[in-house]
Order: sequence, then structure tokens, then C-alpha cells
Amino acid sequence: MYDKKLKIIWLTAISCNGNSHSFLNYPHLEQFIDDFEFIYHPLIYSKYSLQDLINKDIECDILLLEGAISPEFKKMDEPIINLVDKYAHKAKKIITVGTCATFGGIFSQSDYAYTTGLHFDKENPTFLFKSLKHKTISISGCPIQPEVLANTIYAIQKNMDLKLDNYLRPKEFFAYTIHNGCTRNEYFEYKVDNHTFGKKEGCMFYEHGCQAPYTNGSCNKILWNGVNSKTRAGLPCMGCTSPDFPKQNLFKTKKNMGIPQNLPLGVGKRTYLTLAGITKAFSIKRLEEDLF
Amino acid sequence: MIKFIEKIEGEAKLNFSFDEHKKIDFVDIEFFSTRNIEKILENKPALDALVINPRVCGICGHAHLIATTKALEDCYKNIEVPNNAKILRELTLNFEIMQNHFKWFYLSILPLLGERQHLLKATFPSQILAKAIAVVGGQYPHTSYSLVGGVVCDITVMDILKITHLIDEVMKYFEKNLLVDESEEFLNYKNIENILNKDGDLIKTLLKFKQNSWQHLGRSYGRFVVFGQNSYFNSGKSIKTTVSKNLNFANIKEQTNQNSYAKNVTYKNKYYEVGPLSRAMLNKIPLIKDSHRKYGDSIFSRILARMYEIPQLLNHSKKLLDELDLDKPFYIEPKIDISKISGSGYGCVEAARGTLLHKVKLHNGIIEKYDIITPTQWNLSNGTKEKLGVSQKAMIGLSDINLAEIVFKSFDVCSVCTTH
Repeated sequence: MYDKKLKIIWLTAISCNGNSHSFLNYPHLEQFIDDFEFIYHPLIYSKYSLQDLINKDIECDILLLEGAISPEFKKMDEPIINLVDKYAHKAKKIITVGTCATFGGIFSQSDYAYTTGLHFDKENPTFLFKSLKHKTISISGCPIQPEVLANTIYAIQKNMDLKLDNYLRPKEFFAYTIHNGCTRNEYFEYKVDNHTFGKKEGCMFYEHGCQAPYTNGSCNKILWNGVNSKTRAGLPCMGCTSPDFPKQNLFKTKKNMGIPQNLPLGVGKRTYLTLAGITKAFSIKRLEEDLF
Repeated sequence: MIKFIEKIEGEAKLNFSFDEHKKIDFVDIEFFSTRNIEKILENKPALDALVINPRVCGICGHAHLIATTKALEDCYKNIEVPNNAKILRELTLNFEIMQNHFKWFYLSILPLLGERQHLLKATFPSQILAKAIAVVGGQYPHTSYSLVGGVVCDITVMDILKITHLIDEVMKYFEKNLLVDESEEFLNYKNIENILNKDGDLIKTLLKFKQNSWQHLGRSYGRFVVFGQNSYFNSGKSIKTTVSKNLNFANIKEQTNQNSYAKNVTYKNKYYEVGPLSRAMLNKIPLIKDSHRKYGDSIFSRILARMYEIPQLLNHSKKLLDELDLDKPFYIEPKIDISKISGSGYGCVEAARGTLLHKVKLHNGIIEKYDIITPTQWNLSNGTKEKLGVSQKAMIGLSDINLAEIVFKSFDVCSVCTTH
């Protein structure tokens, strides 16, 4: 059916290569490399080298950008902006892979001037590559989940009409919150707020900075490495898919007059207080005790 | 003559000069960019470093997490860290080291020897090892599950079962693909000749070196150092075969480099090699000592040491699992909140590529200064003609720059770490 494999260029800008390595954990990689060709990739063997990318004019179908961009940042003495410009215009689709490429992420705090994502500087739109916005899909996450990237690429191959959110992220993966599917949900629902680290019981939202109820993503729906998630393990969600990742003081819940500053998505303060009042009236023994 | 080296977690530029016999007499090593992680950390709350630092590197971020945890705990005069947490930190770091080794061998080294890149041979075991980290830490890469006072998780007997199976699966994979050997003996071989009659990708590679008479290629000073003491690795330095156990962090010096973003690192003003070969020398692994005796600190010894570390670490990881006591805690809340801590601390671990050192200075729980010295900085220090860095010295005298690239990559270069 697809006699011609789509050609992919995986370009890295200001990054840690975390998305490249995360993608290597995609369980169906064998099928994937049968279906697509990385004509340039930072780790995997590819037909062209980075030098070729700089010196030649190569055709590609999909451009994957990993890492934040800055007019000051160069790849082997070539400004990254030029490389992005050259291949983004050739590509039929562009995917920003990870939070740095999408919003700027951690490296927006590095010393390079104007370090941003391809279309966003945190939540604000940028204008340099505005004309490419119509063909871009964002996949945020630090790092991305391999399945999210792989299946977005398959969706492009099959011309699927993906619904995107305001940050150009596929709703299929980003309409959920990280809270959806967390095994600690009951502690959240009944506001059992005495979490300590090193326990399989308890919810990290009330004291330890968990951002899962107001962060979009599929971490507890598509499990990491097929087995687990940070919140299931006992680590607060750090909001790594969000435009403002990383916030500060990540292991502490910011509160105003005892109420968490960031409430679950779409939940107003009044609703939260009413619910909190009701749940406080209960004491559920099962949830106060160790599971086993 | 300039050669760009790619697919080393980034890129580097090697500028070779040759003597009148057309042999390399100097190599200038240049890394292109830096991300200023140390500056990003300044003025941030201490614990945020646990989230930021794994993002130094996509392939060895876990080592950065554990080094960060240790550096922050070292800022306390007195802190109780549960034994279970210490065990799990070592265990997950072992898993990261091994996934790196598989990737290095199949993605970086074999293609240099005329083989096609066996992507799936690298990813099959590295996915299993990443899964084993995720069972404990929630995900891989980029978990922050280790924190001041212990680890966040509370694992169960079922988790231990899962991890045991994953370890067994990787061991089976190693025995089937890298070093085909039915006997239980292969962890205790004393002689290179014991393994060269076996089958497997590792053996085929070593034989290729022998057939080309390359087994002495890539020798450097024969000076090794290991700082990251733990229940398996022994710290110390070894010069040829003289071992000394007394090391002092204060003797480590970092110097900026005129023409590269990477800083040079010395111990008592001398360049040392770090990594699996150094660790095997300090741990006195008989097979590796035999290789060193015969071929010195060559690529041959480096490849063997790195890949032979896998079964050793798998074996040790199973012992670590046995030492967990599920009735004991995984986390003990520090008596003093970190927001009240002022002071400085060192955190040192053995990462896949060798000694990784973090230094932090806190004032009331806020990071004043942070300093990271990565393994690649040790091995790839860009010295002068009079005082060559370890990898520079290893490339001198070769006439073929493709061979020089193999020598360079035998150190398992990590560009992103180096230019953190």
C-alpha cells in the first residue's frame, strides 16, 4: 500500500537527546523502521550525515525537531535556524518532539538569546516560523512517550485528521490529564492528604507538588516503558508537558490560605472548597491504613 | 585535516596534524556548544536540581540524578538514608550503565568495523533495562525518583519478581548474542584465550582486532582512576598495575579550554582515564587484567572491559535485590528541612562512561553554585602537544584517521554531557 517509505529527518537543536533515547524504547521499533526511513537521525544509522544536511539539499517528508531553538545556536557552525528553515519548508509535516522543541523547556533558561520552541515561547506564540504553523504537530513531554510520537507519525502516513489543542498537540493524547489512571486516585478523591515519600499509599497533590490534575498528557494511560508511571511509583508529576515546565519548587504544593494555588483543570475555587468540605467530613479507614 | 565526528550524543570536531612520516602527531578536540546547566541551577530551590539534572543527558541522566541526590545529602552534616534506598539507587544506576553499553557496542562500535548497524540488537536489551528502572522509578529516561532522604517508591515482592525476570532476560540475551557460553564459568575467566574460541558478537569483534593486528591500538598513559565507590566498584587510582586507594576530591582540577566548550579535567595535574576499563583494573577483574597485561589500555581492552561489565553488573544486581528488606523504610524524612540547610557537598557516582562528580553549594536551601564534572571531560580533555589528554595520546602515531575515529569512540564519547 505504501510502496514509498516516508522519509524522516530527526534534527536536534538545544537538547539532551532524551527524546531520541526515549523513542528507542518504542516496543514496535522493528515494524517502525520497516515503515519509515530516517534519512537523518542523531543516533540511528542514516543515509545522510549532519554534514550532508548542512551542505546538500535533501528531500524529506517529515521533519522532527528535538530541542529548543535560538538564533545564536549552531550545529557544526551552521545556525540551527537555517537548518530548520531549510527542511521545514521541504517537509509536508513538522513535529516538535518534546517540551524544549515545543515550548522552549529547560533550555529556554540557558544563555542563548531568544531560546524558544518552534512556535511557542512558553505559552506565548512566536512569529519567526509562523508560516509553518499549519503543518506542525506538537508533542510535548520531557521526554516524549515513544508511542505518542510513533503513532502521530503513523497518523500522518495514513492522512488521519488529528484534532489538535491550542498548542497543536493531538487531543488523542493530550486531552487527558496525567491524573487520569493514577493508582493513587482514591487518596485524591477523598482528600487523604498525609502523603509521605517511600509509600505506595497517598496522593502527592496536597503537599508534594504533584501537577497531574492540571497537566495534560497520557502518562497514566499509556504507561511508561510499558509498566509504570512517575505518580504510580510515588513521584509527583513535574508538569513536564506544560508550556511553563520547569516551574520552581517542584516538590512542594504552592498554597494560598491552605488552598492549592493550581487546582484540577476546570475546577473553580468554590467547587474545590465545597468538595473539600464534604470529603473532610468522612474518615475512610481503608485509605488511612497501609494497603498491605 | 579536519574530521567531524557524529552520532556521539551530539558532534565533535577533530583537527589532526601529521608529522613527516604522515603519522598523527596532534589532535585538537573541539565540542561545539554548551547549555549552561550549572547556571540554570543557580538561585533555584535545592530539590529542583533533582528534576533539572537528569536532563543533562538522555543516555546517562540517571547517573546525574543519583549524583545530585548524593551531593544534596552531603550538604547535611548528618542525614539518615535508608539502606533500601541506597540499594535501589545502585540497582537502577546499574541498569542505566548496561543499557548504555549495549547501545554503544551495537550503535557506535560495530558500524565502525564495517558491520551494518544492528539497531534492534541494541534496543532489545536496552528496552528491558529501561523497563527495570521504570518498575522502581516510574519511567526511563528522566525520572527523579531518588531524593534527599531516600527514594519515593515502596516496592513489593511482585516488583522484585519482575526485576529478577528482567535481569535474567538480559543475562540470557548476553549469553546468546555477545558471548555464547553454556558454562557458568564465563564470569570467572582468567585468560583472554579462554574466550577467543567462543562465538558471539563480542568475540567476533575482538577477533577482528586480532586479525588486523589492532589489539595494541589506542594505548594511552595506562593511568586509571575511579571515584564512585559503591558496593561493587572500588575507588582508587591505578598506574600500570600499582594501585593506590587514597583519593582526594580537592586534587581534581577543571580548566577552561580556549577552543572548545568542554573543560579539561586533571587529578594532581595529570590526565587519567575513567570508565569501565578503569573500573575493571581497580576491581582486579582477572580477564581484563590479562587483556591489559597483553595489550595495554588499548581499544581491545576497552571494548572487552565495557562489555564484560554487563554480566558482572547483572550478577551483582541480583545480589543487591536479595539485600532489600521490604519491612524497612525506603525514605526517612530529613530532620531538618532542606530550606534551612547552608553548606556544600560532593556527589560522586560511576556513570556508564566513568566517574561523574557533582559539587553543590547551598544557602538556606537555595543553590548558590553548582559544578558538574563528567566522565567524557576526563577522557577527552583537550591537552597540548607537551601534555596530551588521554584520548589525544591514544590517537598519536596512527596514520589512518578512520582508525583514529575508532580509538576516539572507544572512550564512548558523550557530547551533550561534556558540554553540559
